[in-house]
Amino acid sequence: MIQTETTLASRFTLRQREQIFGWALILPAVVIILSMILYPIIYNMYLSFFDVNFHGKNTYLGLENHKEVALDPFFWKAVGTTVLYVVFTTVGTTLLGLIVAMAMNKRFPLRWLVRSLILFPYVAPVISVVFAWQFLFDPVQGIVMDLMVEKLGIFSERFNLIGSPKSAVWIAVTFSIWKNFPFAYLMFLSRLQAIDKNMYEAADIDGANGWAKFRYITLPEVYFVMGALVLLRIIWNFNKFEEIYLLTTNVKVLSVYTYFKAFIGTMEMGQGSALVVIQFLLLIGFILIYVKRVLKW
Amino acid sequence: MKQVLRLFISMLLFTALVLPVFAGGDQEGAAVDEPVTIEFWTSQTQSDRIATIQVLIDTFQVMNPNITIKLIPVDENDIPTNINTAAAAGTMPALIEIAAENAVAFGTEGLLDIDAATGSINEIGAERFYAGTLKLNESTKAGEYYGMPYHGWVQGIWYRADWFEEAGLNPPSTWEDIEKAAAYFYKPSENKYGILVGTKEETYAEQCFTQFAMSNGAGLFDKNGKLIFNSPEMKEVVEYYARLAKYNPPGPQTWRARDYYLQGRMAMFFYSTYIMDDLALQEDAAGSLTGENFSELAGADFDPDLVEHTRLASTISNSQDAGYGVVNSLAFPDHGDALKTAAAQRFVRYLYTPNAYITWLHMAPGGMNPVLAEIAGNERFQNDPKGLFQHYGKEKMQEIISGLNSIETFSIVEGNRIAAASIIYSKMVIPQMIYKITQEGMGIDQAMAWAEAEMAKLQ
Repeated sequence: MIQTETTLASRFTLRQREQIFGWALILPAVVIILSMILYPIIYNMYLSFFDVNFHGKNTYLGLENHKEVALDPFFWKAVGTTVLYVVFTTVGTTLLGLIVAMAMNKRFPLRWLVRSLILFPYVAPVISVVFAWQFLFDPVQGIVMDLMVEKLGIFSERFNLIGSPKSAVWIAVTFSIWKNFPFAYLMFLSRLQAIDKNMYEAADIDGANGWAKFRYITLPEVYFVMGALVLLRIIWNFNKFEEIYLLTTNVKVLSVYTYFKAFIGTMEMGQGSALVVIQFLLLIGFILIYVKRVLKW
Repeated sequence: MKQVLRLFISMLLFTALVLPVFAGGDQEGAAVDEPVTIEFWTSQTQSDRIATIQVLIDTFQVMNPNITIKLIPVDENDIPTNINTAAAAGTMPALIEIAAENAVAFGTEGLLDIDAATGSINEIGAERFYAGTLKLNESTKAGEYYGMPYHGWVQGIWYRADWFEEAGLNPPSTWEDIEKAAAYFYKPSENKYGILVGTKEETYAEQCFTQFAMSNGAGLFDKNGKLIFNSPEMKEVVEYYARLAKYNPPGPQTWRARDYYLQGRMAMFFYSTYIMDDLALQEDAAGSLTGENFSELAGADFDPDLVEHTRLASTISNSQDAGYGVVNSLAFPDHGDALKTAAAQRFVRYLYTPNAYITWLHMAPGGMNPVLAEIAGNERFQNDPKGLFQHYGKEKMQEIISGLNSIETFSIVEGNRIAAASIIYSKMVIPQMIYKITQEGMGIDQAMAWAEAEMAKLQ
């Protein structure tokens, strides 16, 4: 035992031994990441070159799947829906989060209670709130149509907000903003609390109005938090599936479209894989540009 | 070490050579001598039905201590996806309860053990089954079956006879009468609607659509298996269906909207005979009368007269008469484990014994009807716990049960089995087409061309 230790000690320097120890510590994580994340990604890329057959051999197609996906008008429609969804939910959650955070940064009675209640949509399980929303928007029995048509008379006829493909995307956007703004709010609030109050006092003395204080103090202070929030929200919502699919299957964003392609109907796994690869490339490209331009890394 | 090896080899030889001799001498079916655990997938997902099936399983397990059965409920719309992925992953269950159409689709794809199903049918006695229900499960070879028919329902248009009478309208049987009534009762400003046909991408839409197609003599294939979907007859059906869908409540709709009927907001809707107990019995209707949260809204009290005012038009006519229904079958997935199949076969034999069978059927009187003639006439069966036979009368019930014998489907054309039609059913191509037309506003010609291209991929 002592002998092995001495040989080990003589063979490696202290620095090298520390490096080995470091590798040993992260090895389990590396193995998990390789097997659970990297392997499926690579296998998925591999599958995208094949016509996948469940009960027989896969046929190699080359770039045929990718070509077919790229020429499919439904695919471009899905890209359009995704961009619309991502842009509006990102702007919505960020703005709403900022506004609410600024309001919650002021002193008022029972602030502690309101601050924690605001987090509710974010912590509630998605499946329970989704069912509640579906019930609210049911065309015949839901309270939304009852208010709009019977009580307020804004519309003369009931219609299916959550079911019709045209309007459903806006319900999905509203739902996502409602569900996810508390996260942005939480991040903004913690940043706002750390801003030096003296700066606002100095601005007051200089005669700055509310907008000027926001424009020249608050905004620069929260800029990088905002940048990170926008990036995260874009990544998350670009790949969002469960919130949209559970709420309404009619909003065919890329993830839902891919699910239908791969698992419903004719079950074209190869094309599904090709779709995911294209989606992945789009996202990576975006992130690279964003990180360089906006976050200035 | 050597001794252990020798022991091991001699044990191997013993199992390989001697055991089959014993097994061969066994009585009916293969014996299950060693402990085995099998999975049973059922499309019955309601908790009370799961509880009943579990009681049957528990009883069976007491009689067969070697066999353990794990009951797994799977939604009928998810079954094709789940069975295909299970096949790819090598985790197939030993027994599944599915629509006969799906049994044919999976059987054609080579996922089912035809010998096991045929063997079990012959053991029970093929002549004891209603011939029509067996036919729905038959493979391309006569006398060989993909699955065993177990229970079935008939569908039709349920309608408010009192409203029809008041308005002086004919019962909704012909295309013309149906459309006329749908338009008459469509009063969206009063939150009342004429009819409900399926427009969501689910099996329900396929079921509504098929009956209309049959009534116009429109099929997917000719008897030689040539795809003829995009025909003038079919186009008439699609156009008619799209017109009817305009009298639906707004947005994509599916069977859940029976709630609207039970609340008196709808004149006609497609449903199976599963609705019979909901109409007649308050405690069953309760789930559809969810008014407690918004009392000023739609929630309605149970209408005890609704059953008196409701009639079923089970036949639709245009160029010909058509009835429609679904037979649910038990099938044995082909997973290559003979022991598991033997255990599943033993369980299936138990499920066809009168006591177990009637217990199963009584889970949903009206909706679950027997495929064995002797059970239909069984006194215990007719004395159902919900009193439906009493309520609707033995004659009406018998009429429904005998309807099972004459179910028509796209996948049998002039007696020929067209397996591709079952795959199309299983992959829900038609519901997707209906959705594109009614919800996404796609043109009928374009949508039909799309559907035909998808169907061609599946051939």
